[in-house]
Amino acid sequence: MKSALISFLAALAVSFPALADEAAAPAAPSEERSALDAEVQALRREVVDLNRDLFMLEEDLLFPASTQVAVFVSMDVGSFFALDSVQLKVDDKEVANYLYTEREQQALVRGGVQRLWLGNLKAGEHEVTAFFTGQGPHARDYKRGTTLKVEKGVGAKYVELRISDKVAQLQPEFVVKVWE
Amino acid sequence: MGEVMETRHRRRGVLARAALAGILAASCLGASATEGSAAPDFALSSTAGANYRLSEYRGEVVALVFWASWCGDCRRELERFERLRRTYGSVGLTVLGVNLDKEPQQAAALAGAAGIGFPVLIDAGKDVSRTYHADDLPLIVLIDRHGAIRARHRALDERDERGLLVDLRDLIDE
Repeated sequence: MKSALISFLAALAVSFPALADEAAAPAAPSEERSALDAEVQALRREVVDLNRDLFMLEEDLLFPASTQVAVFVSMDVGSFFALDSVQLKVDDKEVANYLYTEREQQALVRGGVQRLWLGNLKAGEHEVTAFFTGQGPHARDYKRGTTLKVEKGVGAKYVELRISDKVAQLQPEFVVKVWE
Repeated sequence: MGEVMETRHRRRGVLARAALAGILAASCLGASATEGSAAPDFALSSTAGANYRLSEYRGEVVALVFWASWCGDCRRELERFERLRRTYGSVGLTVLGVNLDKEPQQAAALAGAAGIGFPVLIDAGKDVSRTYHADDLPLIVLIDRHGAIRARHRALDERDERGLLVDLRDLIDE
């Protein structure tokens, strides 16, 4: 929806009627043309600013801090685990199921953090379960689940699912961390 | 100066109203897979085991070939698109086969027999084929470098093939 909005705004900026009339004027002197360029640039900047404001407004409206819960995925090293997919359940209901391409997996290994899910939960205790599938040591198929009880208070809650290497056991480790 | 500020303010107001209308329109329409609209994104596993996401091919011309092993005309289209991939792959054509079989082994066997070199993605759940309205196979969807659906083709005869080639070359030249 956001990309559709950006395209829409960009199209609007290009086809702004007043500017279109000016652009259609034959052989405008260079000063007028540079003024027009500056105006178009200013308009584009405004579109970008407006898009940012709208994005923030949309997030605030859809996911107010009082009910907001976000789940992130990160990887630390990842030598013992090649991530294929993550299934996320909240209170036994599937809320996200994400398939990772090689590029996305590389981005996580390089330190990227992915927002897997953003949703609303009422105050109280909730159960967050994540199932990781992929290839473990010796290229064997690997599936592991991890569960966490989350106490949702009045503020936004951020949960990080981190995949790291347990070097001593030559196994991957799945850690769930809650950020306030 | 005041006049300029007022003009900008008014323009910003117009943009805000237009943007809100855009949000409403976009939320009402949802994801559609018709010509001219943005191609709905998806991620699927391939018969080789790797996962593919359509949006990662932004900047390239993508041909989605929906097919199944039980569809008589599909093998011909797979072979045709393998030839096209070999011809136009170096200038930005990516071909992704989307298979609707319940058993991925059948898809892999047929693709292997037909000498297919492009990824064969498994849509056993039929979610992607439903989104793209692949109710009649084979279905070919051409997506431009900006991620918009530009043409849809069914099983092709000789004349249709010429039309497809024209569409494809136009997209590659853009």
